[in-house]
Amino acid sequence: MSEEFRLDKIGLVNRDKKISFKFNGKKYFGYEGDTLASALIANGVHLIGRSFKYHRPRGFFGAGVDEPYAMVQLYRNNETEPNVRATEQELFEGLEAKSLNCWPSVNFDIGAINNFLNKFLPAGFYYKTFMWPKSFWYKIYEPFIRKAAGFGVVSTKHDNERYEHKYEYCDLLITGSGPSGLASAYAAAKNGARVILAEDKSRFGGSLLTSEVSIGNQNGKDWADNIIAELKEMPNVTVKNRAQVFGYYDHNMLVMSERLSDHLPKSKKYTPKQRLWYIRAKEVIISTGSIERPIVFGNNDTPGVVLASAAKEYLKVYGVLVGKKPLIFTNNDSAYETAIEFKKNNINPIILDTRKNPESEIISEAKNMGIEMKFSYVVVAAKGYKKVNFAEIANISEDKKDLGKIENINCDCICVSGFWTPTIHLASQSGNKTKFNEEIDAFVPGKSKQNETTVGSANGIFSLEKTLITAFEKGHEISKKITNKDNKISVPQVSEKKFTQHDKFWCVPLPKEKNYKRFLDFQNDVTVSDVELAIREGYRSIEHVKRYTTLGMATDQGKTSNLNGLQLVSSIENKIVPSVGHTTFRPPYTPVSIGAIVGREIGKHSKPTRKSPMHSWHEKHNAVFVDAGIWLRPRYYKKGNEGLFEASKREAENVRKNVGVCDVTTLGKIDVKGPDAAEFLNRVYTNAWLKLPVGKARYGVMLREDGIVMDDGTTTRISEHHYHMTTTTAQAANVLSHLEYYLQIVWPELNVNVVSTTEQWAGAAIAGPKSRNLLQKLFPDINVSNEGLPFMGYLESNLFGIPARIFRISFSGELAYEVNVESDNGNFMWEKIIEIGKEFAIQPYGTEALSTLRIEMGHVAGSELDGRTIPYDNGLDGLVSKKKDFIGKRSLNRKAFIAKDRQKVVGVVPLDKKTSIPEGSHLVKDANAILPNPKLGHISASCWSVEYNNPFSLAILKDGKNMIGKKLFALCPVKNKSIPVEIVSSHYVDPKGERVRS
Amino acid sequence: MQKYSVFSLIKNAFKGHKDWEVAWKDPTPKAEYEVIIIGGGGHGLATAYYLAKEHNITNVAIIEKGWIGGGNVGRNTTILRSNYMHDENGMFYEKGMDLWRSMSQDLNFNVMYSPRGIINLAHSDAQMNAYTRRGNSMRLNGIDAVLLGREEVKKLVPMLDFSENVRFPIFGGLMQPSGGTARHDAVAWGYARQADSMGVDIIQHCEVTGFDVANGKIKGIKTSRGNIKAKKIGLCVAGSTSILAEMLNITLPIETHLLQACVSEPIKPILDHVVTFGAGHFYCSQSDKGEMVMGGDLDGYNSYAQRGNLPTLQHVLTEGIAMLPFLSKLKMLRTWGGIMDMSMDGSPIIDKTHIDGLYLNCGWCYGGFKATPVSGWTFAHTIAQDRVHELNAGFSLNRFNTGNLIDEKGLGTKTWIS
Amino acid sequence: MLHIKCPHCGLRSQNEFSYGGDGTVKRPDLNKEVSDKEWDTFVYLRKSPRGKHVELWHHISGCRQWIKVERDTATHEIFKTSKVNEDI
Repeated sequence: MSEEFRLDKIGLVNRDKKISFKFNGKKYFGYEGDTLASALIANGVHLIGRSFKYHRPRGFFGAGVDEPYAMVQLYRNNETEPNVRATEQELFEGLEAKSLNCWPSVNFDIGAINNFLNKFLPAGFYYKTFMWPKSFWYKIYEPFIRKAAGFGVVSTKHDNERYEHKYEYCDLLITGSGPSGLASAYAAAKNGARVILAEDKSRFGGSLLTSEVSIGNQNGKDWADNIIAELKEMPNVTVKNRAQVFGYYDHNMLVMSERLSDHLPKSKKYTPKQRLWYIRAKEVIISTGSIERPIVFGNNDTPGVVLASAAKEYLKVYGVLVGKKPLIFTNNDSAYETAIEFKKNNINPIILDTRKNPESEIISEAKNMGIEMKFSYVVVAAKGYKKVNFAEIANISEDKKDLGKIENINCDCICVSGFWTPTIHLASQSGNKTKFNEEIDAFVPGKSKQNETTVGSANGIFSLEKTLITAFEKGHEISKKITNKDNKISVPQVSEKKFTQHDKFWCVPLPKEKNYKRFLDFQNDVTVSDVELAIREGYRSIEHVKRYTTLGMATDQGKTSNLNGLQLVSSIENKIVPSVGHTTFRPPYTPVSIGAIVGREIGKHSKPTRKSPMHSWHEKHNAVFVDAGIWLRPRYYKKGNEGLFEASKREAENVRKNVGVCDVTTLGKIDVKGPDAAEFLNRVYTNAWLKLPVGKARYGVMLREDGIVMDDGTTTRISEHHYHMTTTTAQAANVLSHLEYYLQIVWPELNVNVVSTTEQWAGAAIAGPKSRNLLQKLFPDINVSNEGLPFMGYLESNLFGIPARIFRISFSGELAYEVNVESDNGNFMWEKIIEIGKEFAIQPYGTEALSTLRIEMGHVAGSELDGRTIPYDNGLDGLVSKKKDFIGKRSLNRKAFIAKDRQKVVGVVPLDKKTSIPEGSHLVKDANAILPNPKLGHISASCWSVEYNNPFSLAILKDGKNMIGKKLFALCPVKNKSIPVEIVSSHYVDPKGERVRS
Repeated sequence: MQKYSVFSLIKNAFKGHKDWEVAWKDPTPKAEYEVIIIGGGGHGLATAYYLAKEHNITNVAIIEKGWIGGGNVGRNTTILRSNYMHDENGMFYEKGMDLWRSMSQDLNFNVMYSPRGIINLAHSDAQMNAYTRRGNSMRLNGIDAVLLGREEVKKLVPMLDFSENVRFPIFGGLMQPSGGTARHDAVAWGYARQADSMGVDIIQHCEVTGFDVANGKIKGIKTSRGNIKAKKIGLCVAGSTSILAEMLNITLPIETHLLQACVSEPIKPILDHVVTFGAGHFYCSQSDKGEMVMGGDLDGYNSYAQRGNLPTLQHVLTEGIAMLPFLSKLKMLRTWGGIMDMSMDGSPIIDKTHIDGLYLNCGWCYGGFKATPVSGWTFAHTIAQDRVHELNAGFSLNRFNTGNLIDEKGLGTKTWIS
Repeated sequence: MLHIKCPHCGLRSQNEFSYGGDGTVKRPDLNKEVSDKEWDTFVYLRKSPRGKHVELWHHISGCRQWIKVERDTATHEIFKTSKVNEDI
């Protein structure tokens, strides 16, 4: 198919490189440098999709980020991407796209029936109906509405693209490479500042790409090209295109997304699709320009109605005509430029200007070129269903209230201009309180909150000369503040056409007897009458209007609709626009890829993984791992066809019978050093620490100030002023912060230092009746007898030449030791233990066997110390010193904590001695009581007791100490279980603790 | 009051929708009311509604600094559930679920209650056990709960990450089938419309600047629109509670924190449930418009800014992709922030105060939206009867003295920890 | 992302710090008899102003010192930072 709307020579696309693409299955071609939008328009395609609610035909309205409806489903490199703006998507070879929100096709869309029912679908109609019968909303109406809503589709395949992050610092970040951005960047860069210049589009230059101006004897575009070329060569400048600064956050942190591959058929190897830049800028110049706003008229959503500036951009940048019989509808001078460009290319536009007798240089020029113009004229309505084919126009009275006789005028497009809206999003996001500028009928930045300065048309300045003067000045001034240099660039001579005042006119009244839809928000199908209805119903705040009608909440975020919405509300409410106020601008400026926000932290890397030095050994020996926080720990070592139950039972039995070894490297370890270390520990732990001799360990429990158990572990006195504290794996980081808090803030007078040594030591627990024999073989030089190394004793020795620490501590309740060596030697230690342990039938055991061992011994752990229990609940009364004060002690006398029937940890055995009780079951008196059934406690941990060969559980039970011997039911309704149980002591095995001391 | 129905909609359609009445009026404040509710958010509006409906107290004013429904009721992720472990929470929120079930009909306003089921994913056996405990607790309290294995979760939500390349594999989950979502704005507007029709004055753009207390008894408030007397005053201002309490010289076990949320661009239906990630803090559902509605952790420092920073969202969305990998291919459309009244045990406070006639409703943390009806219902009872209802008896201020804390997460007072 | 000046290390991004809450809370002295009210005030009651807030931050990925920060909770502007043993 030929490109009948492409001009021969005009534009910046690369005519040497033809690109073929498909839209809705049909093949077309365009050129390198086209957007999907420009290429489609060149091919005469204007019907691109259907609207959200009424399924009305929709085409192109803008030429960039402001585009409200030209969205497509994109297919690229065997993937598909929903809701891609055709005006931003650059053309690449093999691009495929399809229309959204239509079925069976964009040409014939069943959903368009909504357009005929529109009378019944005013704003908020769904709040008023679909209420009966009661269940129908969820079962019938909602599924139907859900299917109708949404735009594109997403595939559930994993994203194969790569996204990266970059952190950058600069003196000055400039957002936008139009004339104001270029000028300020150039001035600042020449004055030595480290500058980042970000341009959202693929081409630099902004408005200079399409305007007929000259700067210092060059035309605008050449000037821009030369400045960019020079900036790119400067070492202190980073210039990025396809890079949008979308968010202005606290403390001058801005975030930019750089699209590196979206314009290519597929991403190059090692090149990310997008890169997210976190930029901490000392200063920011906002040069984001402005967006043309429409004038609202009847059927203004018909394909072929475009912004005048977009028509000019399609023509000048892409050499594409949006139509051959253009009607230009404007309230200001800028649209005359569009008309003149048409005329220059032998197209005869007709201008309708709402103003009565405007006079200016450009109007005279248009007149001299023979362009037909009608003043005090408006477009009443666009006519044509899938494309404009004529327009109803009329004369309008001076007060803009009455229309003259309706005339029909032939046209194939309507280029509309309702003046310009500064893009103040970034300024507003920064905390800048924006102010209303009467002269331009729009909001502009007010007083700066952070270090930002807005220049050019983003600041409401539409003269190029003024823009350049202020931009050069700001660039210099701001850079001087930072670099202390004073290298000033003189502002080049500018020649531009002077514009006259625009007409503050934004909405064409409806002619009598006509009920044309006049759209404010094109994507969400919000019309003038929707807003009128909202206000009639009392939704008067602009936020209520927005939420009730969904005005400005579509994917274009109201870039072309918000201000007209405000105008409408203020005119109905008889208020001035600033008193209505605008809704809050929040990041992102345009929708930003979630993949890019997340970056590389995906899949297995979504969180770090910590492994012990013995990890590869465990892997080699069929360990099945379990996540313990971010650590991986062996849960059991699989032999043959064993499952979790068999393996852990075997491992636990072997500990009770022979000897086992467990990797305990993950336990938190903290060195506590200093002359006041004992005193400090005495305050941190609930039990007494002042008399612990060197070479001895002690078990301790620490509380939060609210009396709840925070953590437990053993701490060993290594030398006079040196203690080695261990914490649980989960609480390691919190405990360190907790200790530092007390040392630095509460008791700075204590001379103590703490530092984490978790990574410094690898640990192996050796447990079981034969552990002493094994230890002796590992350390032949030390006295391992009960006298030489008693329970809770500590020794230092060396393991075949490497320094080692030996603690006689036990979690399993068996005779046990823990050996620590420096991490680098961890694997050596482990292999020696396994090798020498062979003769004692050693087996490694994982966390599951460890749990079994501790549960049947009644040792409390994480499932009991769950952030809700106090020491008394856990049978740790003996560890709570009555004599001294400690962190959290004062809280322990709370009424609920000392209640007679306070919960306590107990043991639970099923009456049949066979049925395992699921963890998380609740204990009740009556299994069949009516609900709510009063709960007496819950099963915190369950195991298969290897000692007694029957199930055993721990529970936290109300009035636990008086419940021993009682019979209750363990209920687990979510697993459909009801188990009669007997309450027993939590110390099921070796209640006197003789084995650990043996 | 005009009744909303499909018939009234058709009737009005033929009149060009010119005859719809205002949903609520815009009265000027009277000199005195029987009850003043400070805060025109969901909880305040619901309280006024139930005062009128359940207790025949209609001489009521709602005083709102901005516009009604502009606080957290209009900036949340619209999730409804009663999947709590502790009895105090479970019974309270389940009463709330009852109110949600009939809210559209009760208010004659479609709040789009959608019991699509909420699934909390578990990523370890330990977590499955914790969910078993919670699920059992729910079931024994008469609340629906189903424990799901990995395969069952996969059947319901196949697009979750069940691949090998995953840091925390899915072990299963806990589902509350009757949990779901509702249209947040509609809740505020529906309550406002009914309360207004029963005689409640909804006074917007009226800022409370002080209180009139004499002899330990509340007498009235000072506002930007003059002094207003009242016998009873209820505080219902969520994240702004500490500010008002300061005017009364009351310090509370509350910190105000910022919670962000975001939505993606709309896409065709893909996720039918509300799903939460278990190896972190992320929740997601798809709105009727097609947007993926997502939230997670607090920004983590005291804030009244309603404006957050990107790293928090990055962290939240990282967990999002870990759970639903396809999110990577979507774009984040809108973000917003709400300020949360984080209590020191994570549970709310609905209680009388030491000042006679002053009642307190605060401490909602992340969970205020789903509580809207039952918070209003119990608060109205507390104000009208001058005593707490058994449903909110546990949410007392003095639990911070007695130790009867209701700490679902077991995190204690560090509310900013995620 | 906030930019916090650690009095020991200089200006650093917020992600190096963890938050520690109300910096005006003072723990009652050890072994001192305190009333229930005084104790509960310390454990549970928090200043939560809209505006200037003195708070603690912990430079966990830096010098591991707790520091004091005076910050506006409405705008997030940081006015001052200090070592914990200095008045702010």
